[in-house]
Amino acid sequence: MIHLLDITKKFNKNTVALKDVNLHIEPGEFVSIVGQSGCGKTTIVRLLISEIRPTAGRIIIGGWETTKIKNYHIPLLRRQIGVVFQDFKLLPKKTVWENVAFALQVSGAPRGRINSIVPQVLNIVDLKDKTDRYPQELSGGEKQKVAIARALIHRPKVLLADEPTGNLDAINSKDIIDLLLKINEFGTTVVLVTHNKEIVNSLKRRVITLENGQLTQDQKIGKYLI
Amino acid sequence: MWLLSFHRSIIFALQSFWRNIWLSIATIFIIGLALLSINFLIIINAISDSAIGAVKDQIDVSIYFKNDVRESKIAEVKSQLAGLSQVKSIAYKTPEENLIVFKNKHQDNPDILETLKELAGNPLGATLIIKAKNLNDYPEILKAIDNPAYNDIIEEKNFDDHQLIITRINQLADNVKKFALIISGLFVVISALIVFNTVRIAIFTHQNEIAIMKLVGAGNWFIRAPFVWESVFSGIIACLLTLLIVYPGLNFIQPQLTKFFSGAEIDLIGYFNQNFLIIFGGQLLGIIILNVISSSIAIGKYLKV
Repeated sequence: MIHLLDITKKFNKNTVALKDVNLHIEPGEFVSIVGQSGCGKTTIVRLLISEIRPTAGRIIIGGWETTKIKNYHIPLLRRQIGVVFQDFKLLPKKTVWENVAFALQVSGAPRGRINSIVPQVLNIVDLKDKTDRYPQELSGGEKQKVAIARALIHRPKVLLADEPTGNLDAINSKDIIDLLLKINEFGTTVVLVTHNKEIVNSLKRRVITLENGQLTQDQKIGKYLI
Repeated sequence: MWLLSFHRSIIFALQSFWRNIWLSIATIFIIGLALLSINFLIIINAISDSAIGAVKDQIDVSIYFKNDVRESKIAEVKSQLAGLSQVKSIAYKTPEENLIVFKNKHQDNPDILETLKELAGNPLGATLIIKAKNLNDYPEILKAIDNPAYNDIIEEKNFDDHQLIITRINQLADNVKKFALIISGLFVVISALIVFNTVRIAIFTHQNEIAIMKLVGAGNWFIRAPFVWESVFSGIIACLLTLLIVYPGLNFIQPQLTKFFSGAEIDLIGYFNQNFLIIFGGQLLGIIILNVISSSIAIGKYLKV
């Protein structure tokens, strides 16, 4: 599903974010990428959604070599990968419904399809009663659920979650992780980027550890050891 | 699908316009002020044009004929002068009319009136009052009047003093026009810069939203279009508000102007009505083009995500 082949990313001569990273993620896997701040976790997410380009190496997602992707194809790629960010990245002047629907509207989906899919997705994240709320009227956990709903709207094969619990308390964090597990059960590949040791250890799933931009461990049923 | 996206871009623009109402009001206010300053300049130009036109209109050349010249001879001169392409109009005043005017003019001077009574009959001859189409045409007309064939019938020509006045007025009019052109150019550039930066600041406040839209897979056009529409709406509303301020303003200053210029014909409302399409159509088109360019440039900066 996801292949990172000899990926190196330098932001300038002295800043090497990733160095010769090789990674292969199978369809339907739940993978945690862990490591301390600045180890290159978020750089991997940014590379996967083509927000930045690698300095060297190739990235293949679902058979699509994204390192050679043309700029005008980037929106198409992003519609096929669901992404959840630590700071939620919700549109502040749009309601819950509009934030979720927006991801479909950008792809030119007809109104009928939007009206049928949005409630289903909001139902999955348990927000069907808060469709008319604006982001500032929601709790942190609810905001992240909206972000997950938006990420799921295209029924993506891959869901990238970059520190999704970073701004949440323990209870809301557990809710979000449960939701990600539920999504994974439906067959979506989930890549969880986090430095939350407790969560990673409780998952008992594959763990990839990064240190100073290099992949140091890849355990099938791993633990956060650093 | 294209039509659907087009429709959505307008809906998003209207939504954003309404949900960011204070930002929209501030943008409209500044664009409106820029447009008002341009209209103010148009008013000043119209007043100065009319004032100079009124002064120019006061200029004419009078030929005073001897009192024994027959009317048919004067008609002959009149028809010859009327044949000149530079002549706009020629008015004929009979000796009797001239006498009445003369008496009225000197009604407070008993000596002159007494002298008139002592003279047998009307000492004044007929007069031709000639107006040129253009100030620059007077020298040609004056040359034609200077014909030696008219020496025996013309008592007096008043155009010697006119030469200097005509030259000065012409210079003044030219200078006023040049000055107005420079000031207008400056105003337009300053207004354009103000509008350009206002739109840029408005879009700057949306930079995070633009980045989010990119991250959820929106194409550049889909992001750009609502912002461009929004700035166009602001421009149109600002233009309409300017219109609603300018006309009552003109109604208010028109009587003051007429009073100030002692009844000279300065019809500002007429001027704006006659040039409505050029003045407001031009401003609307200008502001739309300017807003489209400014918003497109401003958004472009944030689309590189």
